[in-house]
Amino acid sequence: MSEISTKKVFAMCRVSACLMLALLALSSCNRRNGSQGVAVKGGGAMDSTLVIAMLGDADYLNPVLGSTVTSGNIIGLIYPSLLQSEFDTTTGLMNYMALEKKLREVTPGQGKKDPKGALAKSWKMSDDQRTITYILRSDAFWNDGKRVVSGDFKFSYQLYGNPVIASARQQYLAELIGADRGKVDFDKAILTPDDTTLVFRFYKPVPEHLALYHTSLTPLPAHQWKNVKPDEFRHSPLNLQPIGAGPYKLKSWQQQQEIVLASSRSSNLPKPGTIPLITFRVVPDYTVRLAQLQTGAVDVVEGIKPEDFTRLLKANRQIEIKTVGLRVYDYVGWSNIDQNEYHKSGKVRPHLLFGSARVRLALTQAIDREAIIDGYLKEYGVICNTDISPSLKWACNDRIVPHAFDPARATALLRAEGWLPGPDGILQKQGRKFSFVLYTNAGNARRNYASVIIQQNLRSIGIDCKLDVQEPNVFFESLRQRKLDAWLAGWSIGLEIDPLDVWGSDLNKSRFNFTGYQNPRIDALCELAKQKMEPTGARAYWLEYQEILHRDQPITFLYWMKETQGFSRRIEGEELNISGTFYNIDDWRLRPSANVAL
Amino acid sequence: MLIYILKRLLIAVPLIFGVLTLTFFITRLAPGDPAAFFIQPGISPNVAEQIRAQYGLNDPVPVQYVKWLANVLQGDFGRSFSRAQQPVFDVIAQALPITVTIAGLTLVANFTIGILVGIISAVRQNSFLDRFLTVTFLFFYSMPEFWFALMMIILFALKFPLFPASGLNEIGAEGFGPVEFLLDRLWHLVLPLTVLSINGAAGIARYVRGSMLEVIRQDYIRTARAKGLPEKVVIFRHALRNALLPVITLMGSSLPFIFSGALFIEVIFAFPGMGRVTVDAIFSRDYPLIIASTFVAGSLVVLGNLFADVLYAVADPRIKL
Repeated sequence: MSEISTKKVFAMCRVSACLMLALLALSSCNRRNGSQGVAVKGGGAMDSTLVIAMLGDADYLNPVLGSTVTSGNIIGLIYPSLLQSEFDTTTGLMNYMALEKKLREVTPGQGKKDPKGALAKSWKMSDDQRTITYILRSDAFWNDGKRVVSGDFKFSYQLYGNPVIASARQQYLAELIGADRGKVDFDKAILTPDDTTLVFRFYKPVPEHLALYHTSLTPLPAHQWKNVKPDEFRHSPLNLQPIGAGPYKLKSWQQQQEIVLASSRSSNLPKPGTIPLITFRVVPDYTVRLAQLQTGAVDVVEGIKPEDFTRLLKANRQIEIKTVGLRVYDYVGWSNIDQNEYHKSGKVRPHLLFGSARVRLALTQAIDREAIIDGYLKEYGVICNTDISPSLKWACNDRIVPHAFDPARATALLRAEGWLPGPDGILQKQGRKFSFVLYTNAGNARRNYASVIIQQNLRSIGIDCKLDVQEPNVFFESLRQRKLDAWLAGWSIGLEIDPLDVWGSDLNKSRFNFTGYQNPRIDALCELAKQKMEPTGARAYWLEYQEILHRDQPITFLYWMKETQGFSRRIEGEELNISGTFYNIDDWRLRPSANVAL
Repeated sequence: MLIYILKRLLIAVPLIFGVLTLTFFITRLAPGDPAAFFIQPGISPNVAEQIRAQYGLNDPVPVQYVKWLANVLQGDFGRSFSRAQQPVFDVIAQALPITVTIAGLTLVANFTIGILVGIISAVRQNSFLDRFLTVTFLFFYSMPEFWFALMMIILFALKFPLFPASGLNEIGAEGFGPVEFLLDRLWHLVLPLTVLSINGAAGIARYVRGSMLEVIRQDYIRTARAKGLPEKVVIFRHALRNALLPVITLMGSSLPFIFSGALFIEVIFAFPGMGRVTVDAIFSRDYPLIIASTFVAGSLVVLGNLFADVLYAVADPRIKL
C-alpha cells in the first residue's frame, strides 16, 4: 500500500472524528427554551421540579384528540373542567361538584378535591331529565387573557362530534338531541343564551349523574381553533401550543423525551400549581424506571410490580409504595360457543369443551386462585367473583361466596358431564380429549406466572392445557375475531357500571363479548339498571346480575389487583384516588431534598 | 471511480424500492390493526372506522399500494399514524441525529478499542495478556446487548451511581451553558456507548489480531527489524497500516449492525432515536413510519457497503473500481 493512500485513510479517520463531535453538538441543539430555563443544576432543579416517569409520550395535548394515559394526565392539568369529580370510597359512587353545588353530600373523610377548580357555578336538571343548564363563572380566563365562555363548550362539542376529527370521546354525545337519528343537532342540543349559561338537551330522559359525566368534556378555546379546518385538526401546529386555564401550562415538549409543565401564575382554577415545575419523563423500560426511582432521578413511577417492593424499599428508604384500587382484574376466558361454527354459519352452538356452565364451574374450582395471589400479588390481590369491583360498594354483592379451590369437586363435576380419564390420564368424552391451548399476551410477567399455575392445576385433574404467548396486537386481534378457545387476559373497569358491551347476547353489537356468552336475563338487568335515574336504585339488579355470573361462570374471574405506585417521600400532600394517581397533583408539595427524613 | 459510484447508486434505487414494496405488503398482511387502540369499551365503534377511513385502510391492499406508490414517487412518504399525524420525515428528522450520533461515536470507539486490543494481542501472541484479552472480549462479544445494558445500569447507575440510567440530559439541563450541556450529554452517553462499543470492539479485535499476525510474519517486517528500526516504528508504521486493510471494509458493513444495536439501546436508555421510532412504529402498526424507517435503514446499508468498497479502493491501489 502506498504511503499516500495510507495517509488518506488516516486523514479520513480524523475527519470522521471531527464529524462525530459536530454530530454530538448537533444532537444537543434540539433543546428548547434554553434561555428561559428557570431551573438550576442538580439539587436546586430537583427541589423545584417534580419528575414523573411515564411509559410512553403523550399523543396529543388536545382534549378532543388525546387518548393515551400520559395525555389524559397532562390535559387534566392544563385545561379547565366544567365540574370537579371525585370517587367516594365509602359508597363507591362518583360525586360531581360545581363551585356552589354538589351532586351528593360529601361523607366525612371524603371531599379532598377543591370545587374551586370547576368552571360551573351550579347546574339545574329539568324535571323531565331531558335538559341540564349550567351557570358558568365569569372570572375564568384562558392563558392568553380571553374569558372562558359557554361558546367554547358548544364549539368544542362540535369538534368532539365531528366524524372527520374522529374523537375517541364522541360516545359522550350519544344522548344529545339528534344522536338517536345518527347526527347530533348542535343547534338544538347545545344552547348558549349568554356567555355564562350553557344548556344541554337530550332526546331521552338521562340520569343526573350520567348527564353530568357526559357533559363535562374538556373545552378548547374557540378563538384559538375556530379557523382550523376539521381535516387539518389532527396535524395542526396549534396542537403543540395548547392554551389552557388550569393550574399548569406547557413549558416545553421534547417529543418522546419529556414534557415540562410550569405552574400557571394567573390560574384561578383552582389556583396556580404548588410545585413550580412538573416534568413527565418518558422512560419506556420498566427496569430503568425502577432504577431511576431508586436513585432519586424520578419521584413517581406507576405500576411497580409486587416482586420488586422489598428490594426497592430496602435500597432506598425515601421511597414509599402507595396502592389504589380495585379497578383491574385478570380472568381466564372460555369460549362458550363453537367459534368455528359461528364464523361459518352464524349459528350459535355450545363449545365442545367449554359450552357447559358445569364444566366452566369445574375449571374455576380446579384453579388455585389463592396460590396465584399468594405467590405473586400477595396483599395486593383479592379474589375476583364477578366484574363488579368491591370498590363499587353500593353495587357489589358481598353475599357471594367465592368458588373454593376444590379439585375433587371439579373432577366430580366433569365426570357428571361425561369427561372420564383416558389411558394417558387425560380426560376424554366420546373420543375427544380435554386438551386446549391457553393464549396470553407477551410481556406480562404476572399472567405468565398465573398461566403456569393454571396449567399445573388443570393437569392434576387430567386436563391438557398448552400455553402460548402472542404479541399483544396479534393477541387482541385474535380475541376480537373470536378465534381463541381459551385465553388469559384482563379488564380495567369504568367507574360507571355498563357491562352490556362485554356480556350482551347480540354478538354483533357486543364487540367485547369474546366468549359468546348469551343470557337474556343479563341483557334485561343491564337495561333495567340503565333506566334508573339514581344509580343506587339499580342495586337490586346488579346484585342479581352478579349471582347469575357467579353461577354461569362464563369466564373464570381470577383476581382484582391493587394498582401500586412508587413515590418519593419528598412529595407531600398527595391523595391517591381510584379515579387517578394524579387527581390532586396541583396540591402536591415538594420538601427540599435536605429535609427529607431517612 | 465516480462512474462506479454512480452505477452502484443507480442499482441501489430498484433494490431499495423492492425492499420498500416487500415491507409494504408484509406490514399490511401481518395481523394487527393501526386503529386497534380505539377499539375498547366506552369508545364508539364508529371511531375505529373513521380512523381507518382517514388512514385509507378501507381500500383493498392493491389499491392502497398504487396510492402509496404514487405518493412515494412524488417524495411523499405520508403522515405518521401514531405520532400526531406528523409527516414521517419530520419524525425521522428529529430522531436521526440522535441515532447517527450514537452510531458514529460507537463506530469510533469500536475501531479505536478493537484496533488497540488487536495489536496488543498480536504483538504479545500467546502471552497471558493475549489470553486474558481474548477471553474477556469473547465474554462481552457473546453477551446479548439488552442484557448487558441492564447489567451496566444496575452496576453503574444503581450500585455505584456514577452515570445516569436514562435520558439524554439531566432535569433542568436547559438552564446549563453550552459546554456544560455538551458535557452533560456526553455523561449520559457513557453507558450506552460502552455497551454498544465493547460488543463491536470484540469482533474487530479478533480481525486485527489475525491480520496483524499475518503481516508481522512477512519478509518486509523482518527487513525493517533487520534495519534496526525501533519496534514501535515497525509495528505502527510498517505492520499496522497493512494489517488494517481488511479491517477498513468492516467499517462500512458494521454500520447496519450498529444501527440495529441502537434499536435496543434506545429503548432501554430512553433515547428518542431511530431505534425507538422503529420499535414504537412496529408495535402501533404505524405503516408509513415503518416504511420510512425501513427506507432510512435500507439506504444506510447500501451506502455503508458502497462506502466500504470505495474506502478499500482508496486504501489499496491494487484495487481498481
